[in-house]
Amino acid sequence: MKEHTNIILRTENLCKYYGTGDNLVKAVDCIDLAIRQGEFVSIVGKSGSGKSTLLHMLGALDNPTSGSVLIDGEDISSFKENRLSQIRRRKIGFIFQSYNLIPSLNVWENIVLPLGLDNKSLDKPFIRDIVKTLGLENKVKNLPNTLSGGQQQRCAIARAIAAKPSIILADEPTGNLDTKTGDEVMALLKASAKKYGQTLVVITHNEEIAQMADRTVMIADGKVVG
Amino acid sequence: MKKTVFRLAFSKLRYHKSRTLLTGISIMLTTMLLMAIGTTGIGSIDMSRQLAVAQSNYHAAFRLTQPEQLSILSKHINVESLNTIEPFAQIIYGKMNGTLSLSETVKDGIYISNFELIEGHLPEQENEICSLPAFFERVGAEPVVGGTVTLSFRVNGKGEIQTKEFTICGLLTDREISTEISDSRIAWSAYISRALLAQYEKAGLYEASPSAYLRFYGEDELSYDEMENKIKSTASDIGLGEEYISMNKQYLSTMTNPGTETMLIVVFVSLIVILFSALVIYSIYYVGVITDIQEIGKLKALGASRKQIARLFFCQGGIVCAFAIPLGLLIGYLLPYILFPQIIQAAGSTALDSSYLEYLLNIKGQIHMFSLPFLVLVVIAVLITVWVSLLKPIRMAKKVSPVDAIRYQENTTDCKSRKGHLTVKVSTLTWSNLSRNKRRTAVTMLTMGLSCVLFICVSAVLSSTSAEDLARRNIKQGDFRLSLDYSYHDMEYPENNLNQLVQQDYFNETFLEQLASIEGVESIERDSGRILSSTDMESAIYEALDNRLPLSYFTRKEVPQLSAHLKAGSIDYDRMTAENEILCTHVYSFDMYKLAIGDVFPLTLYDGDREIPLTVTLAALTQVDADYPLLIMTEDTWNNLGLTYDPTTDIYIHVKKAQYDDVKKTLQDIAALNEHFELYAMDEELSIGRYSVSMIKYPIYLLLLLIAVIGFMNLINTMITSIVTRKKEIGILQALGLSNRQLVHMLAGEGIIFTAGTLFISVTLGNLFGYLLFLYAKDEHFMSLSRYHYPLWETIGLTLVLLVGQIAITCFISKRVEKESLIERIRSQE
Repeated sequence: MKEHTNIILRTENLCKYYGTGDNLVKAVDCIDLAIRQGEFVSIVGKSGSGKSTLLHMLGALDNPTSGSVLIDGEDISSFKENRLSQIRRRKIGFIFQSYNLIPSLNVWENIVLPLGLDNKSLDKPFIRDIVKTLGLENKVKNLPNTLSGGQQQRCAIARAIAAKPSIILADEPTGNLDTKTGDEVMALLKASAKKYGQTLVVITHNEEIAQMADRTVMIADGKVVG
Repeated sequence: MKKTVFRLAFSKLRYHKSRTLLTGISIMLTTMLLMAIGTTGIGSIDMSRQLAVAQSNYHAAFRLTQPEQLSILSKHINVESLNTIEPFAQIIYGKMNGTLSLSETVKDGIYISNFELIEGHLPEQENEICSLPAFFERVGAEPVVGGTVTLSFRVNGKGEIQTKEFTICGLLTDREISTEISDSRIAWSAYISRALLAQYEKAGLYEASPSAYLRFYGEDELSYDEMENKIKSTASDIGLGEEYISMNKQYLSTMTNPGTETMLIVVFVSLIVILFSALVIYSIYYVGVITDIQEIGKLKALGASRKQIARLFFCQGGIVCAFAIPLGLLIGYLLPYILFPQIIQAAGSTALDSSYLEYLLNIKGQIHMFSLPFLVLVVIAVLITVWVSLLKPIRMAKKVSPVDAIRYQENTTDCKSRKGHLTVKVSTLTWSNLSRNKRRTAVTMLTMGLSCVLFICVSAVLSSTSAEDLARRNIKQGDFRLSLDYSYHDMEYPENNLNQLVQQDYFNETFLEQLASIEGVESIERDSGRILSSTDMESAIYEALDNRLPLSYFTRKEVPQLSAHLKAGSIDYDRMTAENEILCTHVYSFDMYKLAIGDVFPLTLYDGDREIPLTVTLAALTQVDADYPLLIMTEDTWNNLGLTYDPTTDIYIHVKKAQYDDVKKTLQDIAALNEHFELYAMDEELSIGRYSVSMIKYPIYLLLLLIAVIGFMNLINTMITSIVTRKKEIGILQALGLSNRQLVHMLAGEGIIFTAGTLFISVTLGNLFGYLLFLYAKDEHFMSLSRYHYPLWETIGLTLVLLVGQIAITCFISKRVEKESLIERIRSQE
């Protein structure tokens, strides 16, 4: 029962369809999922199985065709765009495969960006701590294009953690990195999530990473298969 | 392979519909503008040529001094055609400004408008007369051949008034005269016979002063200067100096340089259009390459050569041109073809003299505006513009490596780090984006700024050409000017001379009170007054004016204004009073009459019949636009003269707007009672002023419109560039929680900074250049510009258009971007 009270992210009958008639593609097909506070869940599946679509809906980036997503018990599928962007700012941290840093802002500015968008005051020691944990102390003034892939992804992780969101969603965070760097980044991500008590949902192809997780969800043809 | 490239180009154009449309519109607009400007130019050259011919085709008029000069001229080798006009007498009919003249053809070929016989014959008998039907109507006679008319006139404009009955022997081209303009502002002519002249000459009552109107050989081959030299040398052959020549400059310059000036303007404006268009088209392609780098990389990876990539782009440009250029040519030709006659009509509707309008309307259908070589030139110019705008993007595209297909990320700055801010706000995003590519930001601001500079510049001149200013030259203040029509030194009718007229005290207090009591009159002001002077010493200026020159005064308050335009000498009010020094107010007359600072004039001033001796020294030369007589003394010197009579020559009447028409009627009646009164009404002066202004205003408005269109193309492109290229970035920001409102704030912020930068450049440079242009135009006596008007409304309008335009375009484009789902945008370059 205790587990149930700690559910931070839940989907009910979540569906996302594209096209109609013969061209109907069921990217996500009636998925029911519950993720607990502080849990590290990995989502695995083949290319095109619907895992990214699922992640996007979990993160309020995409609207479901039917069903609902509940974050902290709130059904976000009925929310307007403004409320959704607020949810994205406050409750969710995103990490993309291609880092997606803002090229015109330096590392520090990229990290504090979600806070700025929310008009929140800055918890400087906290951010400094993240920067230190992720080994970016000497790079805070650098622009993203001067960083290596691993450094950029660490910056992206810092950005995802900075606003103290309860959920971090990562879409193949190591996909563009070599194995060694990928392992390092993943270890850092896991450690930081743990340190700051955040829920971590990671999409990956990587078996090793999947095994680092508390739980692995396997997706095939838009359905949870294991 | 070529086919493949073509097909690829075509499918790319269809895929990037909005980009294709934007390039197409830009190229179409460029073509249209060039075509429209050129067509207008060709049309106006043709029109001014037709106009010049329609008015008169003489090259120069010589004022002859000796009787034998005429016969030498008629046999002179240079002379193609020759007409003489002898002004015989001044017509005395109310305030009519009319002349009786004799016109004779010596050598055929001179055409003068309003001298085309439509009925009857030219005068032969001493009592015969011919003129315009309107003239006869004006003097109360029926305009029919065989009818009679009685006219009073003064031979040579002096001597006794004669009255004679004439028989109308011919009618000239009818010319409708606007009835709203006072008589004295129109010059009427009626023609009489040689017999009449001979009669007066015999009696010693007439002194011949004929003018010869001449055409010279070589109009088609020689330049203006060569023609001018030919005219001057012919004049000197018969012993005439330059002061006796009056060139028909308008006709000569139209005929000898067929529109060099117009062509220069066309070329100048076209170059500006090409420059701005090239920038716009270039940046559209530039953006195209940047957004397409991955695709180009893929093509490279599939084995496309650099040459094929270049061909792909040229092909895209070519296909768009194939659609856009013909459309542009068509619209660019039709626009002036339809608008030009309407502009002429608009200009003509305010025309003072309807015959001018008639010319314009008569030729409007036949204005020649099409030129095939010009059309080809436009096509070539546009193709070159597109080609040049493609060069740099193509060079960039060629450099794209296959690896970029996967790895490319826009890298627009050479900086490695950024100082940055501790916290990030929406405004930080705005600034960071602008500073990311400083060069592009600066170039955009500068190009937009430059088109605005042009706008402000032109409007500075335009706003300074005001009908009111022109009107204010005749009515310094108020709504009416009642002026004393006086002579300086009329021997026959000395009672008309100013010093005699002042004794009548026309502008006495009783009269002024009478005027003030007219319903609607608010106040009446006297002008500073004039007093006639003469000198015993030899002085070119006094000789030129029958040895009578009016003097007036300036007050201590006016010293700064006079000093501001000081050209020579010095102005010190107290010294000038103590030393009886005077000031010359016209540079032109100063030079012409060879005056010099330090000249001493022993003068006699005429206060009624009393003569006041006063020796003055010329102390300074200034050139102000205010209405001063040539020579002015200080107010204290003037007061020391102790004048017996009130020297007022002009009074200004301020009236209530609502009763303007009633007051005008009353004043006209009052002015009609006194032959020495002349009434100037503001509405008449304004309509004359408006006519002059409209002649220049419409073409300039057209030019402003063109500048605005170019500026707007640039604006649209800037906004599209800045938003479309950041589609993905905006997506990421939204994924990180940027709300729609914050997005609009960010983009609008960028727009406002662009606007502010653009405005800063246009207001500073624009006003500076605008003022310089104004000074230049004033110096060239363009549109009788006198006062500089700050183009305030134009500046406010520009600010509003820029702000609203930028925000509207931003909202429009960001709405379109939002249509694409967030996911699509974030993934767009993955």
